Amino acid sequence: MKCGVRFCGGCNPRFERGEVFREFKRDITNIEFTYADENEHYDILLVIGGCQSCCAAYEQYDVKGDVYKIWDISQVETIKEKLAKL
Amino acid sequence: MLMTKEQYIESLRQMKTRVYMFGEQVENWVDHPIIRPSIECVGMTYELASDPEYADLCTAKSSYTGETVNRFTHLHQSTDDLIKKVKMLRLLGQKTASCFQRCVGMDAFNAMFSTTYELDKKHGTNYHENFNNFLKMVQENDYVVDGAMTDPKGDRGLAPSAQKDPDLFLHIVERREDGIVVRGAKAHQTGCVNSHWHIVMPTQAMREDDADYAVAFATPTDAEGIYMIYGRQSCDTRKMEEGADVDLGNAVFGGQEALVVFDNVFIPNEYVFMAGEYDFSNMIVERFAGYHRQSYGGCKVGVGDVLIGAAALAAEYNGAQKASHVKDKLIEMVHLNETLYCCGIACSAEGQATEAGNYQIDLLLANVCKQNVTRFPYDITRLAEDIAGGLMVTMPAESDFNSDLVVGNAGETVGEICNKYFVGSPACTTEERMRVLRLIENMCLGTAAVGYRTESLHGAGSPQAQRIMIARQGNLEAKKALAKNIAGIK
Repeated sequence: MKCGVRFCGGCNPRFERGEVFREFKRDITNIEFTYADENEHYDILLVIGGCQSCCAAYEQYDVKGDVYKIWDISQVETIKEKLAKL
Repeated sequence: MLMTKEQYIESLRQMKTRVYMFGEQVENWVDHPIIRPSIECVGMTYELASDPEYADLCTAKSSYTGETVNRFTHLHQSTDDLIKKVKMLRLLGQKTASCFQRCVGMDAFNAMFSTTYELDKKHGTNYHENFNNFLKMVQENDYVVDGAMTDPKGDRGLAPSAQKDPDLFLHIVERREDGIVVRGAKAHQTGCVNSHWHIVMPTQAMREDDADYAVAFATPTDAEGIYMIYGRQSCDTRKMEEGADVDLGNAVFGGQEALVVFDNVFIPNEYVFMAGEYDFSNMIVERFAGYHRQSYGGCKVGVGDVLIGAAALAAEYNGAQKASHVKDKLIEMVHLNETLYCCGIACSAEGQATEAGNYQIDLLLANVCKQNVTRFPYDITRLAEDIAGGLMVTMPAESDFNSDLVVGNAGETVGEICNKYFVGSPACTTEERMRVLRLIENMCLGTAAVGYRTESLHGAGSPQAQRIMIARQGNLEAKKALAKNIAGIK
């Protein structure tokens, strides 16, 4: 399963967004996480925003399945559990 | 095509830009220790655009081609674009703690795009097409463009054409079939040396007598007849000291300003955007200033974020972080800083489409934003200095801390004595304490203070310029009507 990852621009993040990305790559081994690219197709998309406005644009990506959004560090475990079950 | 930071720096080496400093020509200005930090700052605008963690803010889709371009070359297509601009500028302020210079070009693009459209509509000229061709070329090559507005101005009580020396405002000296020749200068030009191109705009509203001064155009920075005299900054020669690091406060990044002289420079017709249509000089000034006043609600906030962080660290390193007045001062700094951000976001969210189709900010709110910027960074620096303590300006040099010269009766060196008496809390080494205090010094009264303090006051227009705009846009009659209605006045 292929997951595109899109970050917000990081103007005032409340947590280390890159670290969360690396954590997903490390802990969820059934999914291939890569930086989202408009020329690729994805099964799902993970949007990592640094604050609750989670303002990243992601409509430009070709995604078959769901879009998962994180904008608070407390959401990481819940999303990880969901993805692990896919 | 997006350039990398390395490609950008290499591209500068290919230019024949003439730069003078301390009375001499600087041949290798790209590697000059006083200039290089400002190049590194602009380099960050390239670096972040190619980093997936920041690309959402630092890139956009070109309204011309649909291709991904650096947001600094983008025409705003929505209020979302305006908001993302402010966020991008905050981000860059955080990453550089300096003026990163590239916003003036972006603000000039957006002001020139809509102004040339309306100008052509009235005068039947072809400037809008000229400008579009120019901007497409800029986007395609990911160029840095200086937006040059401020003339030296001479006697402020006289109009451009009434000055004793006609060159005190940049003007057309010759009109040819294939272009114009201009002479004059632009002062305080941020990022001019390391820009590939310049967009030149009139500095104020013009009258018929000043028609030759109502001129706008683009020119390569190294065009024949252009040269620059580099501006001094407080503590600038520390960058020339051998092994300078800690004493710089910010060893990597910095801002840049210079006087740009146009000594009979030929501008081909294809790069001319205004040549005598004095009735549109006010429009370009107001629009550029509006965008630039919005910009400060982003960039100064990002720099403020670093200063607040530095003050909080200084408090910890001094062992004073638990004092209630220190906590309160940090809260006040955050409050002031986020108030500026509120203004930047608000004037963007309330933006609207121009006739030409790009988006401009709410002019009243942008002017309120900048008016606050003329004050709050001063308050923030005062609080930072308060928290840091006097050591930020009395501390010995880095070379003293590293000195092996024996001075004490028990054989202590100068370095050992410095480290003994300037130790802080166990939370840090003496060098770490020294580093954060030097950073605060750099931002409050060193090289970066040019950008964070005086530029906050005078950049994008001095305080009175905003008050004039606030008076025009303030809708006072409607407010009086509201009061009459509530008070029962017929």
